[in-house]
Amino acid sequence: MLKIKNLHAKVGDNEILKGLNLEVGPGEVHAIMGPNGSGKSTLAAVLAGREAYEVTEGEVELDGVNLLDLEATERAREGVFLAFQYPIEIPGVSNLNFMKAAINGKRSHCGLDPIKPKEFLAKVKECSSLVELDGRLRDRSVNEGFSGGEKKRNEIFQMAMLEPKLAVLDETDSGLDIDALRVVSKGVNKMRSKDRSFIVITHYQRLLNHIVPDFVHVLSDGKIVKSGGKELALELDEKGYDWLK
Amino acid sequence: MSKFTQNFTAPSHGVELRSEALSLIDSLPVPTRRSERWKYSSVSKLANSTLSTHKGGAVGLEGWPEEINPNPIPELDAYRVVFRNGVYEPTLSDLPIADGIVCMPLSSISEDLARTIFNNEYHKTEWVGALNAAYFQDGLYLHVSKNIKLDRSIVVHHLTDGENVANFPRHYVRIEEGGEADVVVWSNATEKSSGMCNSLFEASVAPNAQLFLEKITNEAGDIYSLAHDFITQEANSRFKAHTFTIKGSWVRNELSIVSVGKGTDSIFNGAYMPCGSEHVDNHTTMDHTFPDGTSSELYRGIMYGKSTGVFNGKVFVRPDAQRTNAFQQNTNIVADRGASINAKPELEIYADDVKCAHGCTVGQFDLEALFYLQSRGLDENAARTLLVEAFIADVLSSVPSKELSDEIKRLYSERHLWS
Ligand SMILES: Nc1ncnc2c1ncn2[C@@H]1O[C@H](COP(=O)(O)OP(=O)(O)OP(=O)(O)O)[C@@H](O)[C@H]1O
Ligand SMILES: [Mg+2]
Repeated sequence: MLKIKNLHAKVGDNEILKGLNLEVGPGEVHAIMGPNGSGKSTLAAVLAGREAYEVTEGEVELDGVNLLDLEATERAREGVFLAFQYPIEIPGVSNLNFMKAAINGKRSHCGLDPIKPKEFLAKVKECSSLVELDGRLRDRSVNEGFSGGEKKRNEIFQMAMLEPKLAVLDETDSGLDIDALRVVSKGVNKMRSKDRSFIVITHYQRLLNHIVPDFVHVLSDGKIVKSGGKELALELDEKGYDWLK
Repeated sequence: MSKFTQNFTAPSHGVELRSEALSLIDSLPVPTRRSERWKYSSVSKLANSTLSTHKGGAVGLEGWPEEINPNPIPELDAYRVVFRNGVYEPTLSDLPIADGIVCMPLSSISEDLARTIFNNEYHKTEWVGALNAAYFQDGLYLHVSKNIKLDRSIVVHHLTDGENVANFPRHYVRIEEGGEADVVVWSNATEKSSGMCNSLFEASVAPNAQLFLEKITNEAGDIYSLAHDFITQEANSRFKAHTFTIKGSWVRNELSIVSVGKGTDSIFNGAYMPCGSEHVDNHTTMDHTFPDGTSSELYRGIMYGKSTGVFNGKVFVRPDAQRTNAFQQNTNIVADRGASINAKPELEIYADDVKCAHGCTVGQFDLEALFYLQSRGLDENAARTLLVEAFIADVLSSVPSKELSDEIKRLYSERHLWS
């Protein structure tokens, strides 16, 4: 599924990822934890194809496709999805028009006709109920005036709409209240399947009680410094990161 | 007589205004970049060209160029007043006939009437104004009587069709107390045309009356398009203007609104998206001279290619205009490196109890937003399209008729290959 080998990336002159290796098999959920500023969001951005981040070395393959050769658009169409740590507001762009354009972009990439309005609406209904996204929010401009938690919920709504192969969730739990955390996790769990993998970036073991990972990794100073099973998260919760340095 | 005007023929109507303007032309300087009002919009190339006013009369459908629909907004159920190279086209027009409405070509009004209606003094201060007043050919004359509401919009369609032509449309609108009308002024030009279209639109809106004006410039060819709109608003009248520049090699829109009574309401919005080496200039003036007026202005522009732009928005709040509420916003995106815009708000406030807000920005496309959209699988064009549509949505959504705003949107999207 996803193979990351010796990945180095920088912003400007600042090297952030310094030889990162990670393999994610089909259907697996990998949690990535690690101190602030260690490069977790950078990894997510590099996977999604953000241009500001320059990959200086290494490889990233998704099902045999070299992702690093592709633009952000093409990566999304190949099935990469990033739930942003800080989703931005785009006033005037309707959430639903956006989703329709996204789905149709992917469909045209696969040689399919645009989605039928009825089918689209049914999907909207299904996905918004999955994360209990309020209809009022769903029909508004992208994230405009949404609370922090509402934005995160909207990210997962979009993920459900786009049915990615690989979903990278960057601190989707931050900003969610306890009930919302449960709802969103339930939505993510429903989306788990044998051919959809997840990378879940989080600071809190709490999330991993809901979305139980197959593997937990610690990212520190641009590298994975420790990997383990779900118990590792509990250990980190207790001991912090200092003992790993 | 200057070389520039030697091939201009002045029609025989409207003698009084014409002779006054003719006597002033030579004393008014051709604006140069030294003049603040024309600093970024040079007409020196125009002034050195050799243009002629159109000789000959109406051509009807037979002489009308095939690629242009005489009815520019086919979906809109509207009256139509059509001109080609300044000449009225009766067979392509469809004037309203109703009690309380007088609508005809300006060339047909009596000299007595012509002597009394024109208040605009642009010809006394500006060379381009004097040119229009001296050589104006024809245009809309509309008079709406007390409490009469025109049932459909009037589309004034002007086509420039020919090389090195000089056109001088001039329109006059008067809405009496409590009356209402909506006028669309649509400027077209054929691909091969060149020259100048120098137009003037004068309107006065009586107490409690309402005028909506939508101005669309969609000119192919190589035309200097100079439009001066001058609106006088009496007490409690409402005026709403929309100015869209879809296409035009050199376009200058001047909109000047004077409030001469209490409690007037003025809304004026506009959008422009020039590309290539096009030039678009919007000069607006809102003059509050009486108390309790409100004005709201919103202009949005995207500058592509090597285009250049100007926005200048003056708002005056005179000493007597207490409790004025004036809002102005101009937002620009410079999409390409070679493009530029010079944007300047100018507020002069002489009353103390007023609310005035203004904002003027020049920025780039929001790269964060673009990435967000692309990360969901939209290609760059689709992503930009969504952002552009969102950007001008506020301007489009306040257009009074959906048929018109849809057509404007369609033309923009055709031009900019929106997906
Ligand atoms: N666009 C950028 N320009 C400059 N520096 C950047 C940029 N993006 C990230 N960095 C730097 O790279 C380092 C890693 O940032 P990153 O956002 O990947 O950390 P993180 O692990 O996600 O942290 P957090 O847990 O706080 O979200 C930080 O030192 C950050 O300041
Ligand atoms: Mg982060």
